[in-house]
Amino acid sequence: MISFDSVILRVLQDGLLAFFVGVGFALLFNAPKKAVIMAGLLGAGGHMLRFVLREEFEIGIIAATLAGSLFIGFCSIGAAHVVHTPPVVFSMPACITMIPGLYAYRTMIGVVKIADTDTSVRTPGLLTETFHNFVLTGSLLFALAIGISVGSLLFRKKSVKHLRLRGQRKT
Amino acid sequence: MEQTTSISHKENTERIADLLLSIGVLLLSSGSNSRRMNVNISRIANAWNCKIELFSSFTGIMVSLKDKENSNLVTKFKRVAHHGVHYGIVSQISVLSWRVKDEQLSFEEVERELEIISKMPHRPAGQIYFGIGIACASLCMLMHGDYKNALVAFVASCAGLYFRRLLAGLKFNVLICIVPASFVTSLIAGMDVLYHFGKTPESTLATSVLYLIPGVPLLNAIMDMIEGHIPTAMARGLYAACILLGIAIGMILSMMLIGFSNY
Repeated sequence: MISFDSVILRVLQDGLLAFFVGVGFALLFNAPKKAVIMAGLLGAGGHMLRFVLREEFEIGIIAATLAGSLFIGFCSIGAAHVVHTPPVVFSMPACITMIPGLYAYRTMIGVVKIADTDTSVRTPGLLTETFHNFVLTGSLLFALAIGISVGSLLFRKKSVKHLRLRGQRKT
Repeated sequence: MEQTTSISHKENTERIADLLLSIGVLLLSSGSNSRRMNVNISRIANAWNCKIELFSSFTGIMVSLKDKENSNLVTKFKRVAHHGVHYGIVSQISVLSWRVKDEQLSFEEVERELEIISKMPHRPAGQIYFGIGIACASLCMLMHGDYKNALVAFVASCAGLYFRRLLAGLKFNVLICIVPASFVTSLIAGMDVLYHFGKTPESTLATSVLYLIPGVPLLNAIMDMIEGHIPTAMARGLYAACILLGIAIGMILSMMLIGFSNY
Protein backbone atom coordinates (compact mmCIF):
# COMPACT_ATOMS: atom_id res chain seq x y z
CA MET A 1 0.00 0.00 0.00
CA ILE A 2 1.57 3.27 -1.07
CA SER A 3 1.46 6.17 1.30
CA PHE A 4 -0.84 8.81 -0.19
CA ASP A 5 0.76 11.83 1.49
CA SER A 6 4.30 11.06 0.40
CA VAL A 7 3.19 10.64 -3.22
CA ILE A 8 1.50 14.04 -3.26
CA LEU A 9 4.53 15.58 -1.62
CA ARG A 10 6.88 14.10 -4.20
CA VAL A 11 4.66 15.22 -7.09
CA LEU A 12 4.50 18.75 -5.68
CA GLN A 13 8.26 18.84 -5.20
CA ASP A 14 8.67 17.70 -8.79
CA GLY A 15 6.33 20.44 -9.98
CA LEU A 16 8.13 23.12 -7.97
CA LEU A 17 11.50 22.19 -9.46
CA ALA A 18 10.04 22.10 -12.98
CA PHE A 19 8.49 25.55 -12.35
CA PHE A 20 11.95 27.00 -11.71
CA VAL A 21 13.34 25.34 -14.85
CA GLY A 22 10.57 26.80 -17.02
CA VAL A 23 11.00 30.28 -15.53
CA GLY A 24 14.79 30.17 -15.92
CA PHE A 25 14.72 29.25 -19.59
CA ALA A 26 11.93 31.73 -20.34
CA LEU A 27 14.18 34.42 -18.84
CA LEU A 28 17.07 33.28 -21.05
CA PHE A 29 14.83 33.56 -24.12
CA ASN A 30 13.74 37.11 -23.13
CA ALA A 31 10.06 36.22 -22.92
CA PRO A 32 7.63 38.90 -21.62
CA LYS A 33 6.80 38.84 -17.90
CA LYS A 34 3.40 37.14 -18.11
CA ALA A 35 4.80 34.51 -20.48
CA VAL A 36 7.60 33.74 -17.99
CA ILE A 37 5.09 32.86 -15.28
CA MET A 38 2.98 30.88 -17.75
CA ALA A 39 6.07 28.95 -18.91
CA GLY A 40 6.78 28.00 -15.31
CA LEU A 41 3.19 26.90 -14.65
CA LEU A 42 2.89 24.86 -17.86
CA GLY A 43 6.32 23.30 -17.31
CA ALA A 44 5.31 22.30 -13.80
CA GLY A 45 2.01 20.84 -15.04
CA GLY A 46 3.57 18.85 -17.86
CA HIS A 47 6.41 17.54 -15.73
CA MET A 48 4.07 16.56 -12.89
CA LEU A 49 1.91 14.64 -15.35
CA ARG A 50 4.98 12.84 -16.67
CA PHE A 51 6.16 12.11 -13.12
CA VAL A 52 2.81 10.63 -12.10
CA LEU A 53 2.57 8.53 -15.27
CA ARG A 54 6.08 7.19 -14.84
CA GLU A 55 6.14 6.56 -11.11
CA GLU A 56 2.54 5.57 -10.32
CA PHE A 57 1.28 4.04 -13.58
CA GLU A 58 4.67 2.71 -14.68
CA ILE A 59 4.34 3.93 -18.25
CA GLY A 60 7.52 4.09 -20.34
CA ILE A 61 9.49 7.32 -20.46
CA ILE A 62 8.79 8.10 -24.13
CA ALA A 63 5.00 7.72 -23.86
CA ALA A 64 4.98 9.67 -20.59
CA THR A 65 7.01 12.50 -22.15
CA LEU A 66 4.67 12.59 -25.13
CA ALA A 67 1.71 12.88 -22.77
CA GLY A 68 3.41 15.68 -20.84
CA SER A 69 4.33 17.65 -23.95
CA LEU A 70 0.85 17.19 -25.47
CA PHE A 71 -0.58 18.53 -22.20
CA ILE A 72 1.68 21.58 -22.54
CA GLY A 73 0.78 21.98 -26.21
CA PHE A 74 -2.99 21.90 -25.68
CA CYS A 75 -2.90 24.14 -22.61
CA SER A 76 -0.70 26.67 -24.41
CA ILE A 77 -3.41 27.21 -27.04
CA GLY A 78 -5.82 28.38 -24.37
CA ALA A 79 -3.13 30.25 -22.49
CA ALA A 80 -2.17 32.25 -25.59
CA HIS A 81 -5.47 34.14 -25.29
CA VAL A 82 -4.70 35.02 -21.67
CA VAL A 83 -1.07 36.06 -22.10
CA HIS A 84 -1.43 37.68 -25.56
CA THR A 85 1.72 36.15 -27.01
CA PRO A 86 2.18 33.36 -29.56
CA PRO A 87 1.98 29.98 -27.76
CA VAL A 88 5.53 28.96 -28.72
CA VAL A 89 6.94 31.74 -26.50
CA PHE A 90 5.98 29.86 -23.36
CA SER A 91 5.49 26.29 -24.59
CA MET A 92 9.15 26.10 -25.67
CA PRO A 93 10.67 26.86 -22.23
CA ALA A 94 7.98 24.70 -20.64
CA CYS A 95 8.98 21.70 -22.76
CA ILE A 96 12.66 22.23 -21.96
CA THR A 97 11.88 20.97 -18.44
CA MET A 98 11.66 17.49 -20.00
CA ILE A 99 14.75 17.74 -22.21
CA PRO A 100 16.70 14.44 -22.19
CA GLY A 101 19.97 15.87 -20.88
CA LEU A 102 21.06 12.78 -18.99
CA TYR A 103 20.61 10.47 -22.00
CA ALA A 104 22.39 12.89 -24.33
CA TYR A 105 25.27 13.00 -21.86
CA ARG A 106 25.43 9.20 -21.61
CA THR A 107 25.39 8.94 -25.41
CA MET A 108 28.37 11.28 -25.60
CA ILE A 109 30.33 9.45 -22.91
CA GLY A 110 29.55 6.17 -24.69
CA VAL A 111 30.89 7.48 -28.00
CA VAL A 112 34.08 8.68 -26.30
CA LYS A 113 34.51 5.24 -24.70
CA ILE A 114 33.98 3.50 -28.06
CA ALA A 115 36.73 5.67 -29.54
CA ASP A 116 39.14 4.30 -26.93
CA THR A 117 40.50 0.95 -28.17
CA ASP A 118 41.04 -0.76 -24.80
CA THR A 119 37.66 0.16 -23.31
CA SER A 120 35.67 -0.69 -26.42
CA VAL A 121 37.22 -4.18 -26.62
CA ARG A 122 36.86 -4.90 -22.91
CA THR A 123 33.21 -3.77 -22.53
CA PRO A 124 30.90 -5.95 -24.66
CA GLY A 125 27.55 -4.17 -24.07
CA LEU A 126 28.95 -0.72 -24.78
CA LEU A 127 27.71 -0.28 -28.34
CA THR A 128 24.19 -1.47 -27.50
CA GLU A 129 24.03 0.76 -24.48
CA THR A 130 25.28 3.84 -26.37
CA PHE A 131 22.89 3.29 -29.24
CA HIS A 132 20.03 2.76 -26.79
CA ASN A 133 20.78 6.11 -25.19
CA PHE A 134 21.05 7.74 -28.61
CA VAL A 135 17.66 6.43 -29.75
CA LEU A 136 16.11 7.45 -26.44
CA THR A 137 17.48 11.01 -26.79
CA GLY A 138 16.16 11.31 -30.34
CA SER A 139 12.72 9.92 -29.53
CA LEU A 140 12.29 12.19 -26.52
CA LEU A 141 13.24 15.25 -28.59
CA PHE A 142 10.67 14.28 -31.21
CA ALA A 143 8.03 13.79 -28.53
CA LEU A 144 8.72 17.32 -27.27
CA ALA A 145 8.55 18.80 -30.78
CA ILE A 146 5.21 17.12 -31.44
CA GLY A 147 3.83 18.59 -28.23
CA ILE A 148 4.91 22.11 -29.14
CA SER A 149 3.63 22.02 -32.71
CA VAL A 150 0.37 20.19 -31.93
CA GLY A 151 -1.62 23.42 -32.14
CA SER A 152 -0.62 24.18 -35.69
CA LEU A 153 -0.71 20.52 -36.75
CA LEU A 154 -4.15 19.48 -35.58
CA PHE A 155 -6.24 22.56 -36.09
CA ARG A 156 -4.85 23.61 -39.46
CA LYS A 157 -5.53 27.27 -38.81
CA LYS A 158 -2.95 29.91 -39.51
CA SER A 159 -3.03 31.25 -35.99
CA VAL A 160 -4.36 30.05 -32.64
CA LYS A 161 -6.22 33.35 -32.47
CA HIS A 162 -8.71 31.87 -34.93
CA LEU A 163 -9.55 29.16 -32.41
CA ARG A 164 -12.17 31.19 -30.67
CA LEU A 165 -14.83 30.01 -28.30
CA ARG A 166 -18.49 30.22 -29.22
CA GLY A 167 -19.97 33.70 -29.19
CA GLN A 168 -16.68 35.45 -29.68
CA ARG A 169 -15.96 37.65 -32.63
CA LYS A 170 -14.69 35.84 -35.70
CA THR A 171 -11.60 37.33 -37.34
CA MET B 1 2.03 64.23 -64.29
CA GLU B 2 0.97 60.69 -64.99
CA GLN B 3 4.65 59.67 -64.90
CA THR B 4 5.39 61.18 -61.47
CA THR B 5 2.44 59.53 -59.72
CA SER B 6 3.39 56.12 -61.06
CA ILE B 7 6.96 56.66 -59.79
CA SER B 8 5.72 57.61 -56.33
CA HIS B 9 3.48 54.55 -56.35
CA LYS B 10 6.49 52.46 -57.23
CA GLU B 11 8.48 54.04 -54.40
CA ASN B 12 5.64 53.38 -52.03
CA THR B 13 5.57 49.68 -52.91
CA GLU B 14 9.35 49.52 -52.51
CA ARG B 15 9.14 51.06 -49.06
CA ILE B 16 6.48 48.55 -48.03
CA ALA B 17 8.66 45.70 -49.33
CA ASP B 18 11.64 47.04 -47.35
CA LEU B 19 9.58 47.28 -44.18
CA LEU B 20 8.20 43.74 -44.61
CA LEU B 21 11.73 42.45 -45.17
CA SER B 22 13.03 44.11 -41.99
CA ILE B 23 10.14 42.55 -40.05
CA GLY B 24 10.98 39.13 -41.51
CA VAL B 25 14.69 39.41 -40.76
CA LEU B 26 13.96 40.58 -37.22
CA LEU B 27 11.67 37.57 -36.69
CA LEU B 28 14.13 35.03 -38.09
CA SER B 29 17.04 36.43 -36.08
CA SER B 30 14.92 36.29 -32.91
CA GLY B 31 14.25 32.56 -33.22
CA SER B 32 10.86 32.33 -34.88
CA ASN B 33 10.01 29.44 -37.19
CA SER B 34 9.32 29.87 -40.91
CA ARG B 35 5.55 29.52 -40.69
CA ARG B 36 5.22 32.23 -38.07
CA MET B 37 7.27 34.62 -40.18
CA ASN B 38 5.22 33.85 -43.29
CA VAL B 39 1.93 34.34 -41.49
CA ASN B 40 2.92 37.60 -39.79
CA ILE B 41 4.27 39.19 -42.97
CA SER B 42 1.33 38.07 -45.10
CA ARG B 43 -1.09 39.43 -42.51
CA ILE B 44 0.45 42.90 -42.74
CA ALA B 45 0.74 42.79 -46.54
CA ASN B 46 -2.91 41.78 -46.93
CA ALA B 47 -4.02 44.54 -44.60
CA TRP B 48 -2.30 47.03 -46.91
CA ASN B 49 -3.95 45.54 -49.98
CA CYS B 50 -0.81 43.94 -51.42
CA LYS B 51 -0.25 40.47 -52.82
CA ILE B 52 2.87 38.84 -51.48
CA GLU B 53 5.05 35.92 -52.54
CA LEU B 54 7.69 35.02 -50.01
CA PHE B 55 10.73 32.78 -50.04
CA SER B 56 12.81 32.31 -46.92
CA SER B 57 15.95 30.32 -46.34
CA PHE B 58 18.19 30.16 -43.28
CA THR B 59 20.40 33.02 -44.46
CA GLY B 60 18.01 35.37 -46.19
CA ILE B 61 14.48 36.33 -47.18
CA MET B 62 13.14 37.27 -50.62
CA VAL B 63 9.76 38.93 -51.18
CA SER B 64 7.87 39.73 -54.31
CA LEU B 65 5.27 42.36 -53.56
CA LYS B 66 2.45 43.35 -55.87
CA ASP B 67 0.23 46.33 -55.23
CA LYS B 68 -3.34 45.28 -56.01
CA GLU B 69 -4.43 48.82 -56.96
CA ASN B 70 -1.86 49.70 -59.60
CA SER B 71 -0.09 46.35 -60.12
CA ASN B 72 3.38 47.61 -59.27
CA LEU B 73 5.72 44.68 -58.77
CA VAL B 74 8.78 44.87 -56.51
CA THR B 75 11.19 42.03 -55.68
CA LYS B 76 13.72 42.43 -52.91
CA PHE B 77 16.15 40.34 -50.90
CA LYS B 78 17.63 40.77 -47.44
CA ARG B 79 20.20 38.75 -45.53
CA VAL B 80 19.68 37.39 -42.03
CA ALA B 81 22.90 38.28 -40.23
CA HIS B 82 22.71 36.27 -37.03
CA HIS B 83 20.46 33.77 -35.28
CA GLY B 84 19.72 34.39 -31.63
CA VAL B 85 16.70 33.96 -29.39
CA HIS B 86 14.58 36.91 -28.29
CA TYR B 87 10.97 35.90 -27.71
CA GLY B 88 10.06 39.39 -26.55
CA ILE B 89 10.53 40.62 -30.13
CA VAL B 90 8.62 37.65 -31.57
CA SER B 91 5.58 38.29 -29.41
CA GLN B 92 5.66 42.08 -29.94
CA ILE B 93 5.72 41.67 -33.73
CA SER B 94 2.85 39.23 -33.54
CA VAL B 95 0.82 41.78 -31.58
CA LEU B 96 1.83 44.50 -34.06
CA SER B 97 0.68 42.46 -37.06
CA TRP B 98 -2.72 41.94 -35.45
CA ARG B 99 -2.97 45.67 -34.77
CA VAL B 100 -2.21 46.39 -38.42
CA LYS B 101 -5.04 44.11 -39.42
CA ASP B 102 -7.61 45.13 -36.82
CA GLU B 103 -6.87 48.85 -36.36
CA GLN B 104 -5.61 49.57 -39.90
CA LEU B 105 -2.32 51.13 -38.74
CA SER B 106 -0.64 53.27 -41.39
CA PHE B 107 2.80 52.66 -42.87
CA GLU B 108 4.50 55.39 -40.79
CA GLU B 109 2.99 54.11 -37.54
CA VAL B 110 4.26 50.59 -38.19
CA GLU B 111 7.70 51.94 -39.09
CA ARG B 112 7.83 53.80 -35.78
CA GLU B 113 6.61 50.78 -33.78
CA LEU B 114 9.16 48.53 -35.48
CA GLU B 115 11.96 50.94 -34.56
CA ILE B 116 10.97 50.61 -30.89
CA ILE B 117 10.59 46.82 -31.07
CA SER B 118 13.96 46.28 -32.76
CA LYS B 119 15.70 48.17 -29.95
CA MET B 120 13.95 46.10 -27.29
CA PRO B 121 16.52 45.41 -24.56
CA HIS B 122 17.47 41.99 -23.24
CA ARG B 123 16.55 41.11 -19.71
CA PRO B 124 18.98 42.40 -17.05
CA ALA B 125 22.04 40.15 -16.69
CA GLY B 126 21.34 39.45 -13.02
CA GLN B 127 17.92 37.99 -13.80
CA ILE B 128 19.32 35.75 -16.52
CA TYR B 129 22.19 34.44 -14.36
CA PHE B 130 19.91 33.75 -11.43
CA GLY B 131 17.24 32.18 -13.62
CA ILE B 132 19.68 29.91 -15.44
CA GLY B 133 21.50 28.95 -12.25
CA ILE B 134 18.23 27.99 -10.54
CA ALA B 135 17.01 26.23 -13.70
CA CYS B 136 20.13 24.06 -14.02
CA ALA B 137 20.14 23.32 -10.29
CA SER B 138 16.47 22.28 -10.49
CA LEU B 139 17.13 20.09 -13.53
CA CYS B 140 19.94 18.48 -11.57
CA MET B 141 17.58 17.69 -8.69
CA LEU B 142 14.94 16.43 -11.14
CA MET B 143 17.52 13.98 -12.46
CA HIS B 144 18.10 12.43 -9.04
CA GLY B 145 20.84 14.77 -7.80
CA ASP B 146 20.92 15.91 -4.17
CA TYR B 147 21.26 19.54 -3.04
CA LYS B 148 25.09 19.44 -3.10
CA ASN B 149 25.03 18.38 -6.75
CA ALA B 150 22.54 21.15 -7.43
CA LEU B 151 24.82 23.72 -5.78
CA VAL B 152 27.75 22.71 -7.99
CA ALA B 153 25.45 22.82 -11.06
CA PHE B 154 24.34 26.35 -10.10
CA VAL B 155 27.93 27.64 -9.85
CA ALA B 156 29.08 25.78 -12.97
CA SER B 157 26.25 27.01 -15.21
CA CYS B 158 26.57 30.61 -14.03
CA ALA B 159 30.32 30.62 -14.64
CA GLY B 160 29.91 29.08 -18.10
CA LEU B 161 27.16 31.55 -19.01
CA TYR B 162 29.48 34.39 -17.95
CA PHE B 163 32.17 33.15 -20.35
CA ARG B 164 29.71 32.73 -23.17
CA ARG B 165 28.34 36.25 -22.78
CA LEU B 166 31.88 37.62 -22.47
CA LEU B 167 32.97 36.02 -25.75
CA ALA B 168 29.71 36.92 -27.49
CA GLY B 169 30.30 40.53 -26.41
CA LEU B 170 33.72 40.39 -28.10
CA LYS B 171 31.91 39.42 -31.35
CA PHE B 172 33.37 35.93 -31.62
CA ASN B 173 31.70 33.34 -33.84
CA VAL B 174 28.64 31.81 -32.15
CA LEU B 175 30.02 28.29 -32.36
CA ILE B 176 33.40 29.40 -30.99
CA CYS B 177 31.66 30.88 -27.92
CA ILE B 178 30.06 27.53 -27.10
CA VAL B 179 33.28 25.52 -26.66
CA PRO B 180 34.92 27.59 -23.86
CA ALA B 181 31.57 27.98 -22.08
CA SER B 182 30.99 24.23 -22.12
CA PHE B 183 34.63 23.67 -21.10
CA VAL B 184 34.39 25.95 -18.06
CA THR B 185 31.04 24.51 -17.01
CA SER B 186 32.10 20.88 -17.23
CA LEU B 187 35.45 21.66 -15.57
CA ILE B 188 33.64 23.01 -12.50
CA ALA B 189 31.11 20.18 -12.63
CA GLY B 190 34.05 17.78 -13.01
CA MET B 191 35.28 18.85 -9.57
CA ASP B 192 32.14 17.19 -8.25
CA VAL B 193 33.21 13.95 -9.93
CA LEU B 194 36.77 14.25 -8.68
CA TYR B 195 36.02 15.04 -5.02
CA HIS B 196 32.55 13.41 -4.70
CA PHE B 197 30.69 16.33 -3.12
CA GLY B 198 27.27 14.96 -3.81
CA LYS B 199 25.57 11.60 -4.23
CA THR B 200 25.36 11.44 -8.05
CA PRO B 201 28.05 13.52 -9.77
CA GLU B 202 26.83 12.20 -13.14
CA SER B 203 23.64 14.25 -12.91
CA THR B 204 25.64 17.42 -12.15
CA LEU B 205 27.72 16.95 -15.30
CA ALA B 206 24.75 16.10 -17.48
CA THR B 207 22.54 19.00 -16.37
CA SER B 208 24.93 21.90 -15.82
CA VAL B 209 25.63 22.29 -19.58
CA LEU B 210 21.94 22.21 -20.48
CA TYR B 211 21.72 26.02 -20.65
CA LEU B 212 23.78 25.74 -23.87
CA ILE B 213 21.40 23.23 -25.51
CA PRO B 214 20.13 24.68 -28.83
CA GLY B 215 16.51 23.96 -27.93
CA VAL B 216 15.02 26.67 -30.13
CA PRO B 217 16.88 25.77 -33.39
CA LEU B 218 16.32 22.04 -32.78
CA LEU B 219 12.59 22.29 -32.20
CA ASN B 220 12.20 24.90 -34.97
CA ALA B 221 13.95 22.46 -37.30
CA ILE B 222 11.45 19.73 -36.51
CA MET B 223 8.49 22.13 -36.82
CA ASP B 224 9.75 23.46 -40.17
CA MET B 225 10.25 19.89 -41.37
CA ILE B 226 6.67 18.98 -40.50
CA GLU B 227 5.28 22.10 -42.15
CA GLY B 228 7.18 21.59 -45.40
CA HIS B 229 10.00 24.15 -45.16
CA ILE B 230 12.58 21.43 -45.83
CA PRO B 231 15.69 23.52 -46.75
CA THR B 232 15.24 25.77 -43.71
CA ALA B 233 14.64 22.73 -41.53
CA MET B 234 17.86 21.06 -42.66
CA ALA B 235 19.89 24.25 -42.19
CA ARG B 236 18.49 24.72 -38.68
CA GLY B 237 19.12 21.10 -37.83
CA LEU B 238 22.75 21.32 -38.97
CA TYR B 239 23.22 24.56 -37.04
CA ALA B 240 21.86 22.91 -33.89
CA ALA B 241 24.04 19.85 -34.50
CA CYS B 242 27.12 22.08 -34.74
CA ILE B 243 26.24 23.68 -31.39
CA LEU B 244 25.79 20.22 -29.86
CA LEU B 245 29.18 19.22 -31.26
CA GLY B 246 30.69 22.35 -29.71
CA ILE B 247 29.23 21.40 -26.32
CA ALA B 248 30.62 17.87 -26.66
CA ILE B 249 34.08 19.16 -27.62
CA GLY B 250 34.18 21.47 -24.61
CA MET B 251 33.12 18.64 -22.28
CA ILE B 252 35.64 16.20 -23.76
CA LEU B 253 38.46 18.74 -23.39
CA SER B 254 37.66 19.17 -19.70
CA MET B 255 37.46 15.40 -19.25
CA MET B 256 40.90 15.01 -20.80
CA LEU B 257 42.21 17.46 -18.21
CA ILE B 258 40.56 15.62 -15.30
CA GLY B 259 41.15 12.12 -16.66
CA PHE B 260 38.68 9.80 -18.39
CA SER B 261 39.17 7.07 -15.81
CA ASN B 262 37.29 9.21 -13.28
CA TYR B 263 34.08 9.19 -15.34
